[in-house]
Amino acid sequence: MAETLLWVLPLVPSVTALAMLTTRRRRILSAIDVSGSAVLLALTLVLAREVAAGGPRSLGVFRVDDLGLVFLLLLVVLTLAVSIYTVGWLKQAVAVGNMKAESLRSYFALVHVFVATMVVTVLADNLGVLWIAMEGTTITSAVLIGYHGHRHGLEAAWKYIIVTTIGISFGLFGTVLVYAAAADVMGGAGSMSWSAIMQVAPKLDPGIVRIGFIFVIVGYGTKAGLAPMHLWLPDAHSQAPTPVSALLSGVLIKCALLGIIRFQTIAAAACGPDFAQNVLLVFGLISVVVATPFILVQRDVKRLLGYHSVEHVGIVALGLGFGGAIGTYGALLHVVNHGITKALAFFAAGTAIARYGSRDMRAIRGLLTVAPIGATLLMLAALSLAGVPPFSIFVSELMVLRAGIGNGHWVAIAIFLVMVVVIFAGLLHHAGAMVFGEPRGANRRAEAWSPLLAMMLLAAIMVLLGLTIPASFDGVLRRATEIVVG
Amino acid sequence: MSAETVQTIIDDLGALLLFTMILIVAASQISRAIYAVAAQSFLIAIAGAVLATATGNADLWVIAGVTLVVKASLLPWILHWVVRRMNVRREVEPVIPIAATLALAVAVVVMSFHLSASLGSVRQAITGNALPVGIALTLTGVLVMATRKTALSQMVGLFASENGIFFTAMAVTQGMPLIIEIGVILDVILAALVMTIMVLRVRSTVDADIADLDRLKG
Repeated sequence: MAETLLWVLPLVPSVTALAMLTTRRRRILSAIDVSGSAVLLALTLVLAREVAAGGPRSLGVFRVDDLGLVFLLLLVVLTLAVSIYTVGWLKQAVAVGNMKAESLRSYFALVHVFVATMVVTVLADNLGVLWIAMEGTTITSAVLIGYHGHRHGLEAAWKYIIVTTIGISFGLFGTVLVYAAAADVMGGAGSMSWSAIMQVAPKLDPGIVRIGFIFVIVGYGTKAGLAPMHLWLPDAHSQAPTPVSALLSGVLIKCALLGIIRFQTIAAAACGPDFAQNVLLVFGLISVVVATPFILVQRDVKRLLGYHSVEHVGIVALGLGFGGAIGTYGALLHVVNHGITKALAFFAAGTAIARYGSRDMRAIRGLLTVAPIGATLLMLAALSLAGVPPFSIFVSELMVLRAGIGNGHWVAIAIFLVMVVVIFAGLLHHAGAMVFGEPRGANRRAEAWSPLLAMMLLAAIMVLLGLTIPASFDGVLRRATEIVVG
Repeated sequence: MSAETVQTIIDDLGALLLFTMILIVAASQISRAIYAVAAQSFLIAIAGAVLATATGNADLWVIAGVTLVVKASLLPWILHWVVRRMNVRREVEPVIPIAATLALAVAVVVMSFHLSASLGSVRQAITGNALPVGIALTLTGVLVMATRKTALSQMVGLFASENGIFFTAMAVTQGMPLIIEIGVILDVILAALVMTIMVLRVRSTVDADIADLDRLKG
């Protein structure tokens, strides 16, 4: 059963994408969209149950273990939320002419192909397949980023495809080097599968694995938005249609992190854990530091959220870099928390943008008066992103901090704390200005139900994970941590 | 063929590959850069054929054939088509002078050889000097992408970069699994197509070249 699901899962979004091509009517397209995502979520839950009962499963080039499951769960939950959100968002976007009614089916089809490539990324055991799927996500999402077809959108899409393709070729080179090291040990043609390489990992030549890991972290790090390779990220996140921004920030950059974690485990086994951790620590610190000034002076709300993703990817890298069970657990939990919260923030920002017809935060004022529920959700998301208890991000950031203190990384901790405090102030200043005050130039129509439903779903998960981590999910995270720490 | 003969041939091909890379970096006209990258892909295909004969691995024949058809013929043809279609008068538009880029490229090559000389036993898993040549090609390709403004020059840099990876991958004991190489080539074709469509779309919808798009900052 579980083995069958491994090849059924990538098929679900692919079939959904094909089904989109049969009709042009917006309502039917949205219905296919939501039901396809719901089926994907349901099947993933079945798979999660099987894996919890019977351990990792593999089938050909696919494999699912608890580490992949963490990312897969995040992916399917956000896909469903995005589908629900799209119903209302699209109606409005078509009404104001942001989306052309006649080309909607290609948009929906592309979104689902994009989701399918991400599912393959998460399920890939073969490192070559991982790379191919990762480049597949670049190609599909580049088209989506430029979907509005205006000058800025096309500029962002071009920058995205060029920067991430450069980056990802480094990733392929790193993959080839690790494969060469493995082939040297295994003899014969060798194997590119992660689980097979892990079995011989302690015997791999440390020199070549080190170079390979550097190539991989630069390559997949570009895709993950680690500074200084993050140049594409704020542009892409701000210019993409809002549902796509949520997928990019919530899931795509996390899939790249999963790629890095896979290679980190190989590198840790081959050259000891310190090397990979130090590299991650450096990139994590650079990301947190580089993102801060841009967050403070930002005026475009979606660019603000984009730079904020750079900061949070940096925090995940810091967690992995501090290492140990607590740091790794915190990093994985942060992946989920940030994904959920950032998608919520993009949704809330997207509805506010639609209401005011501007992405400039100076134009968005007094949201609480015109859209009380949306404004509350935006404020909740901002509070959570800033790291206020009792929301989920506070919990995972605290774990990352504890791991750093436990391992005595005082300098890194000091820099991290300063940046987090500065960003906290900056973010709440921006959010407060948008939510409170006198609304001017706002559209006073009633709030649409479907975006609210999607946001409430995410907000519920966000609050729940802040208060308590359900035992079953805790089990998945613990076993995933064991895979990384060994 | 004996192991030494293969190694000599691969090393000679590596030298020729580095030469084509210099041509790409130094090219002041986009069409010359396209011819140079086509020649480079042709050399990669020869390397594939040589390694296929030497190792008796039939997969490598397939890869050599696909490289010949796709990377040495199809992709350069698409690029030439775009050049004609867009009536490109603006050439490579380097961000820094071409001489400076060449100097950087030399530094990259020296560094690559230095880096791989520091590696131990694992070098035996890769034939001859394929590793330093591959690293040098990949990094120089990235250099080209980073120092050129026009879309087509950036695509040439991308193809050169992929060539470097392929060269190293072929020379690893038995080459990468066929299915993976095919998948990688498929991705490259798709990426090239999407990029081509974007170039044409920018021209048709906003009447500008990609090089002129520089409004997104901060």
